Amino acid sequence: MGLNIVVLVKPVPDPKEPPKFKPDGTLDRLAMKLVMNPYDKYAVEAALQLREALGGTIVGVSMAPQHAVDALREALAMGVDEFLLLSDKRLAGSDTLATSYALSMALRKLWSRLGRVDLILCGMESSDSNTAHIGPQVAGWLELPSVSYVDKVLEVGEGYVKVKKLIEGGFVVLKVKLPAVLTIAGTSYVPRIPTLRDVLLARRKKVTVWSVDDAGIDPSKVGVLNSPTRVIRMWAAEIKRKGKIIAEADPDKLVDLFLEELKKDGITLR
Amino acid sequence: MPLDFEITKEQEELKATVREFSEKYLVPRVAEFEEKRMIPPEIVKEMARLGLFGVVFPDKYDGLGLDPITAGLVLEEIVRGDVECSLAVTWLVHTSWGYVAYKYGSEEFREEVIRKAARGDLWVGIATTEPGAGSDLVSITTTARKEGREYVINGEKAYISGVREASEKGTWFKEGGGHVTLAYTDRSKAHRGMTLFFVPLTDPRVSIRLEKELGRKGWSWGSFVMKDVRIPETYRIGEEGRGFHVAMEGFDHARAYIALTCAVAGKRALEIATDYIKQRRAFGQPIARFQGVQFQLADHWSSLEAAHALAYKALWALKMEQEGKMGRFEVTRIAASAKLFAVRAAKAALDDALRWMGAFGYTEENPVALAWKAVKSYDLAEGSTDIMRLIVAREYLGKEYIK
Repeated sequence: MGLNIVVLVKPVPDPKEPPKFKPDGTLDRLAMKLVMNPYDKYAVEAALQLREALGGTIVGVSMAPQHAVDALREALAMGVDEFLLLSDKRLAGSDTLATSYALSMALRKLWSRLGRVDLILCGMESSDSNTAHIGPQVAGWLELPSVSYVDKVLEVGEGYVKVKKLIEGGFVVLKVKLPAVLTIAGTSYVPRIPTLRDVLLARRKKVTVWSVDDAGIDPSKVGVLNSPTRVIRMWAAEIKRKGKIIAEADPDKLVDLFLEELKKDGITLR
Repeated sequence: MPLDFEITKEQEELKATVREFSEKYLVPRVAEFEEKRMIPPEIVKEMARLGLFGVVFPDKYDGLGLDPITAGLVLEEIVRGDVECSLAVTWLVHTSWGYVAYKYGSEEFREEVIRKAARGDLWVGIATTEPGAGSDLVSITTTARKEGREYVINGEKAYISGVREASEKGTWFKEGGGHVTLAYTDRSKAHRGMTLFFVPLTDPRVSIRLEKELGRKGWSWGSFVMKDVRIPETYRIGEEGRGFHVAMEGFDHARAYIALTCAVAGKRALEIATDYIKQRRAFGQPIARFQGVQFQLADHWSSLEAAHALAYKALWALKMEQEGKMGRFEVTRIAASAKLFAVRAAKAALDDALRWMGAFGYTEENPVALAWKAVKSYDLAEGSTDIMRLIVAREYLGKEYIK
């Protein structure tokens, strides 16, 4: 029997390289090497561990230009069975709302092909835009329960999944009805490095490319012009560290002076 | 058309995978290899899981069947993570001698031993040197006597890599390991009476003793004594009397990988030193502003770049030989030139780079010092620098000038 798991994967500019920008301030993705979003590796690892324990199949799904396919091979090398790439010029510039809509349409179609989907796993956010929108928005379009920042999947039972979810200062354990959308935090799962053999075999795994029409997407709801979000300007954030040395020999006085400084910045201790 | 330094997407992906391993497992722990004189077993086990020990073995025996150039790309990432070069030794000895053992080994041997080697369950080493014979291999005294369907081996091998790791089952490798060992089957015929055998160091009639190596301390080094060690005749590698020639072929492989190791360790250490001289100030300015240092830096980067390219030419020559497009002697000459040049280039570069770092350069944990000690070992190992010169000279002058 096993689980049918879908993992959403995003190709992102390699975070190890300095970003390159177009004159209009947006990221020049074509000029940068694309890799699998590092946060998605945790979702892939979670899927692999679930498949190892319970059996089943893992389908990777991504919306990206076709040249990004090399970045997705890493997920295939790690052990994802096959990939569905949603790729169409009309999708270019979609914001998170349009992207999640497009993905949800592709997922509906994939769903009917697979007969059943039990879990949709995503990284907790992407390393290039960090919105953390896609997982919950896809759940919204598909009217499925969703849990964000899952530390670990604890148990999968008949029609439910039990997860440990991170919250500020601790965690909660939730029991959620299947099918569900989970975004996986990078706290418990350790993504495996694929074996060299799997790296070589990944080139032979199936990657299906769907256009807007293949996935049954309404073209008037996607693309830069149909996205409610407008990017006005983008720039590299500059962090200016403020160093201040408090010279005081008496430790008690030093602490008082330190707290004074914090208060000036609007930070008070309770 | 071909003559191209570009690598394929597949090679790039393999390289990226090994780099990920290297950055995660090697970079943070290199100083520990040296300090504890040991590669942590979990690192070797992870290498086995990733398939790093099976790179050149055919698919039929559970290897990846990749060519020497691709194998070099894999090695390069291992060396970048471990400038101390212990893992380079582990990998290149196994890869070179394992390949030769596969090529000349019997079908039974391939099924039994090579399959395990390719899976990373067993390590393959090399043992030619003895207390009384190094460059002058004809002076070895180890003998192998045929008795029925077995060989009985007696002798002592010295300054051998991996004796501890090969003698223990389960710690680093599931099945321990063994050494491709040179012995006389007919003393009267000098080098034409030598034969190679695979001797498992897990055999109870093999005893080991460890030496304290100056550098690349993570992988053990020492001697082993064989007293009436009985091995099946299927463990003979190549025909009787062909041992010397088969060993020379193995050295060609090892020398090409060593040339690459020295070029890459040299470059990586030079990168570290280059960063350092931009930061470190003396007499009111960064050391990198002194032209004396700049000229050294330019010379060393250039010679290491040349060494790097020549190392790949040697790996390419091995590939050409495998494809039947190049003869033995030419491969031997190119591999010897590559090792000769790379060892010298790296030694010279690291000697200066160490001096740029001043007293800090001379500390044990300094990566430049670690690389320097490793590179120095290849002045001696796998054919000394002078033997490399003899080989190259012989190929250009002809055998009548060099016996």
